[in-house]
Amino acid sequence: MPPSLRMTWDTRQERGKMEGINQAYEILLTGAMIVLAVLIVLSLIRSILGPGIPDRIIAVNMTGTMIIMVIAILSVLLDENYLVDVCLIYAMISFLGVVVLCKVYTGVYLQRKHMKADLHAIDDNLHHQEHEIIEEAGEKEEAR
Amino acid sequence: MTGLWIQWILAAGCLLIGLFFMITAVFGVNRFRKALNRMHAAALGDTLGILFVILGLIVVRGFSLDSLKLFLVILFFWIASPVSGHMLSRLEVMTNEDLGELLLIDREHKPHEAEEEEEREENHEGV
Repeated sequence: MPPSLRMTWDTRQERGKMEGINQAYEILLTGAMIVLAVLIVLSLIRSILGPGIPDRIIAVNMTGTMIIMVIAILSVLLDENYLVDVCLIYAMISFLGVVVLCKVYTGVYLQRKHMKADLHAIDDNLHHQEHEIIEEAGEKEEAR
Repeated sequence: MTGLWIQWILAAGCLLIGLFFMITAVFGVNRFRKALNRMHAAALGDTLGILFVILGLIVVRGFSLDSLKLFLVILFFWIASPVSGHMLSRLEVMTNEDLGELLLIDREHKPHEAEEEEEREENHEGV
């Protein structure tokens, strides 16, 4: 057997082994992505069902975490480097979104509370004035 | 060749541990009733889950610039997750008025109880 042919045979053998390990990696990463997809769906269901606003924000935050994982796995599976940058930016925007949502809902809650307090104060004031008027009328009748 | 398979096994182990943590986190978020408990479960996925999944990917990649970027994702998450958790817990404590009974701090609550107990004792003595 000439050396050149042996070389090709060896490389073919090597390539076969490499294909085996590449297939193993593909199965591993695809399986992980499938599991994460199921978990993302469950987390989205919780974000719809969640009774309060904090529950929803928690569920959305966790969905974002899992999407970041999926993007990172995809960057390894497709061998694309730029997807890791997408991953980083997604993490930053997700964090910013949580902080902004918390601030906004705190502000909304405080505004509603102040509005309720103002309405109660107006009601109390009106009742007080009514009582004063009634008392004055009673005093006048007594004077007569 | 065996080196590559050892690498595969390491990556698979890390990924499976990370997925286990994520499954636990999602289960906890769906199972718990109160938002603060849910946050506890979600923080598990935000820290350990992403650590192990991305550690597995770093093992797949080996030493390269991508591994450094993936490590930066972990670093950013470990810095940002406690901050967002703190904001969320503050929102929950501020807006949820049903938490009042759960959140009574001993320092604020105990003196009254002590006084009441003293009064009760005095009453019993008086009776």
